[in-house]
Amino acid sequence: MAKVRPKKSAPFIDMTAMTDVAFLLLTFFIMTATFKNNEAAEITTPSSISQIKVPDEDIVVISIDPEGKVFFSVDGQPVRISMLENIGSAKGITFTDEEKYKFSIQPGFGFPVAQLKSWLGMSPEQMKQVEQPGIPVDSTGVSELADWVFAARKANPKVRIALKGDNAAKFPVFKDVLSNLQSQNINRFNLITSSEEPPAGFRQDD
Amino acid sequence: MAEIDTSGGGGRKKGGKVRAKKMSTRVDMTPMVDLGFLLITFFMLATTMSKPTSMTLSVPHKEKDETQKDTEPLKASKVLTIFMGKNNEVYLLDGIAADDEKAPAALEKVAYGTQLREGIFKAKQRVNSMFPPEEDGSEPFVAVLKPTPVSSYKNLVDVLDEMAITKTKRYALVDYLTDAETKLLGDKIDP
Repeated sequence: MAKVRPKKSAPFIDMTAMTDVAFLLLTFFIMTATFKNNEAAEITTPSSISQIKVPDEDIVVISIDPEGKVFFSVDGQPVRISMLENIGSAKGITFTDEEKYKFSIQPGFGFPVAQLKSWLGMSPEQMKQVEQPGIPVDSTGVSELADWVFAARKANPKVRIALKGDNAAKFPVFKDVLSNLQSQNINRFNLITSSEEPPAGFRQDD
Repeated sequence: MAEIDTSGGGGRKKGGKVRAKKMSTRVDMTPMVDLGFLLITFFMLATTMSKPTSMTLSVPHKEKDETQKDTEPLKASKVLTIFMGKNNEVYLLDGIAADDEKAPAALEKVAYGTQLREGIFKAKQRVNSMFPPEEDGSEPFVAVLKPTPVSSYKNLVDVLDEMAITKTKRYALVDYLTDAETKLLGDKIDP
């Protein structure tokens, strides 16, 4: 007579529930994803207790990196193209359609106008790797940055200006950027910061 | 004959007919879970979760012509001047003009954060208890922010943030130093 053996069965865990959870989370992350765009410079912004969100559209971001180099970026490919056309006609440079396209897919840039054409002539890999010198800015308020701001506002009149400075950026650079904006009669702009908790006992006014 | 064998695969009943072995209907979900979590990991890393915030800064119009009507100069005793120096130091000058002989003794060095906030609150309380409210109902306390060339952008944002925290509505960002102030700060603003 055969012994009664306990019935062997392969351990089987029901994964259905886990799949449900995994895909639920996946859906959430896909829905909320806004991708990091690789910017011309790595910038760590200071933090503030401000709760105002930075708008996604119609915005020009002027970035100041730790060394004081100034970068410029604007949203929307058509705006970038017409901005490039504006600056080209102001400076007497004509850009080919290919250069315009290459410019429009760059999230930001930091080149003097004179060097722009040679940068746009590079291959996409080189464009990413090349060291960007920054847009020339000086305290007189009529440097190239002012021209770019003017060209961007001509391309999209609704555009708002935001400044994104690095923690370590020195004040004089900020002052120069400020005087460039003020020379265009832009007296109201946003400073991009990361958010931080207000101190205990602070209540926001209505 | 119409009964459904729910016992899963393999089991043969005693004395029953030999039936075709039924395959289990269970699908192994493990690879699917693997895939799911792989994608989650990707999206979590590629996402920027916290949207940056922004603080608005308004600067006065640059006057083209000097037809601006003369305004009464601010009383020094109503003003707290905040100088942003190097190495994350900040100097407070409370209620005294920089060319006053008592100024060097009154110049107070504080750190960003709590100390600065306490300094602002103290000055605010002093001024608001000494003077009546302005004609338009705003408080008499005025803060003047003076970033020096050796200060960083972070310092400026921090001080502007303190203005928001202390609810100081009347403040002015002045980006040049007078001769008296340069003398007062001395080597504190040397690069």
